[in-house]
Amino acid sequence: MEWSILQQYGPGLLAGFGNTVLCWLLGTIFGMALGLVIALLQRYGSRWMGWIIQVYIEIIRGTPFLVQLFVLYYGGPLVGLRLDALPAGLLGLTIYGSPYFAEIFRSGFRAVSKGQIEAARAIGMTEASIVRRILLPLALVSSLPALVNFSIILTKETVILSIITVPELMYQVQRMSTETFRYLEANLVLALFFWALVEAISNVGRRLEAHVTKHLIERT
Amino acid sequence: MDAASSVEIRKVNKHYGTFHALKDVDLTIPPGKVTCLIGPSGSGKSTLLRCINFLEEYDSGEVRIDGTMIGYEASGKKMSGRKLREMRRSIGMVFQQFNLWPHMTAKENVAEGLLRVRGMSRAEADRRAAEALTKVGLADKMANHPSRLSGGQQQRVAIARAIAMEPRLMLFDEPTSALDPELVGEVLNVMKALAAEGMTMVVVTHEMGFAAHVADQVVFMEKGELVGVDTPDRILHHPQDARIQSFLRTYHERNSF
Amino acid sequence: MFSISVFLESFSPLFWAARYTLLISVLGIALGLVIGTLVCAARLSPYGWLRRFAMLWVSFLRGVPLLVQLLVFYYTLPVIGLDVPAMVAAVVTVGICASAYISEIWRGAIAALPKGQSEAAVAIGMTPRDIWSRIILPQAFSLSLPALVNELILLVKASSLVSVVGILEVTRASQAQAATTFRPLEVYIAAACIYLAINLCLSALGRYLEHRTAI
Repeated sequence: MEWSILQQYGPGLLAGFGNTVLCWLLGTIFGMALGLVIALLQRYGSRWMGWIIQVYIEIIRGTPFLVQLFVLYYGGPLVGLRLDALPAGLLGLTIYGSPYFAEIFRSGFRAVSKGQIEAARAIGMTEASIVRRILLPLALVSSLPALVNFSIILTKETVILSIITVPELMYQVQRMSTETFRYLEANLVLALFFWALVEAISNVGRRLEAHVTKHLIERT
Repeated sequence: MDAASSVEIRKVNKHYGTFHALKDVDLTIPPGKVTCLIGPSGSGKSTLLRCINFLEEYDSGEVRIDGTMIGYEASGKKMSGRKLREMRRSIGMVFQQFNLWPHMTAKENVAEGLLRVRGMSRAEADRRAAEALTKVGLADKMANHPSRLSGGQQQRVAIARAIAMEPRLMLFDEPTSALDPELVGEVLNVMKALAAEGMTMVVVTHEMGFAAHVADQVVFMEKGELVGVDTPDRILHHPQDARIQSFLRTYHERNSF
Repeated sequence: MFSISVFLESFSPLFWAARYTLLISVLGIALGLVIGTLVCAARLSPYGWLRRFAMLWVSFLRGVPLLVQLLVFYYTLPVIGLDVPAMVAAVVTVGICASAYISEIWRGAIAALPKGQSEAAVAIGMTPRDIWSRIILPQAFSLSLPALVNELILLVKASSLVSVVGILEVTRASQAQAATTFRPLEVYIAAACIYLAINLCLSALGRYLEHRTAI
């Protein structure tokens, strides 16, 4: 094993890691936002809107992420969508994650007891207020473990972005290994970085969970 | 307090699919008085109660609060959401499962309606919330979340949440059924105080003692029908109808020792 | 603009390539089932070292992205001296990766069984071997069928990654097709349709099985 090559490629690898975290973070945030919008539309929208959304969900969940990226990045220009690799990757990640997040939020909505919504209606709160003050906060709390879980899955999906030349970690590692033929060091780096990232996210997730459920655990 | 509301229920019917839950119910809830709904489970007592603030939608007949029909326009069309919310602001409801919002403290639970629905300033809402909580004896628990309160305390917060909105009518749906026996008394005491102030109250309950001592009118229901409406003394101590007699006999067998 | 003719013409070569997609997915899950059962057994065994090995197996294979696993297998094996055809490498990698998830599916199904089931069997005096083979495993299998179908759907989608090691399944074939027609949009959408068709059938199968095995 030659550690000097890690020094040489260090900056590139670090930049790659930065891009991985960036894509993952933004992809998660935008994907969650889109997923939330979808879940709310399904709950409060009209029936035909529900069908359109269901079709969207089936398509995104039924096709491989890689193929979706190809459609966006290589197929996009043919309909006027000319994106660089990184933005295309971000868009792809957002779209890919949205139906899963939407499903998580739907479960979260179901977990909010009907009685609490009724109590708000009985006082005369508007539906918008009820969603904002009662439904969303409580749904988010019960969805938290599933949200953290899926965001961890998304970290693994970011490596697929390398195939459409997004310069994230895997792309940089591939470059390093093809130029130096040092596949072992290369993949070791990859494994270590992903393990660290996943551990960090799990840790933050656990602490977040403990914090928000602080007041909800029965402890008279 | 503003003038207490009265409720007129005329020929109300409610179906759940093929199940006829309320059959041609006629009932007057007089203002400033306490009406107790008693009867076996499945008799439609809660359904009727929930029709009063239209949490259940009745199929035919009329429910009028101070003369205005709730849930439907005169034309028969369903009432707009805005008008319904407007009417609900003067009606307070207390649920069997308390239904406090777990992510808010007691004070926040009580202030929420004042902030969102009555549009008060935060300072004003907080002041009134504190007042309401003091009234139910929980001045020292204002900063507690529901998870830190006993069942009886939670239900009292729920009552405070309802009365803070200054309703003219209070609906109670089996308010003590989910409580441990030793916690029932503190909730009933709050309800008695409320009654003494002249609030119109409709209470679905299995607490016959409360009905006997506090109610002005007791209503017995069975299988969706109104079987008897009378003073507590006549319904509970001298029932004429065999169904009421049988219900009370079972009750006494189970509760006396 | 969208060319319907290119779109429709793409299906023929892609159907052909779909054989490999199905082959890899089915062989992959078969291998995954075999290994996964062993791993699950190890996970539940009374031997501490076996349990720990199984836990590491599962956490490693679920923590490292499949793409990385594929490339490790494909590129590092020749370095060691093992020369395997791409297809074999792909199926083995996919199968091993699936085994980790399947082991967890088994574990979840076994844990979901009410404890009273085995307690009743013990009370009658059944041997542990019989309790496992007659009571626990059959029921765990039915319980896990929907999750297994779901896993198959995931494998069908994951099979698109083996395109990077040159196997001519649907994704790779569509790349080739896009290169010759210069119409990537129509070709890739056609590829997406094929995957969608496969997965919709599998979903329907999953729903049917869930219905039939509802306890």
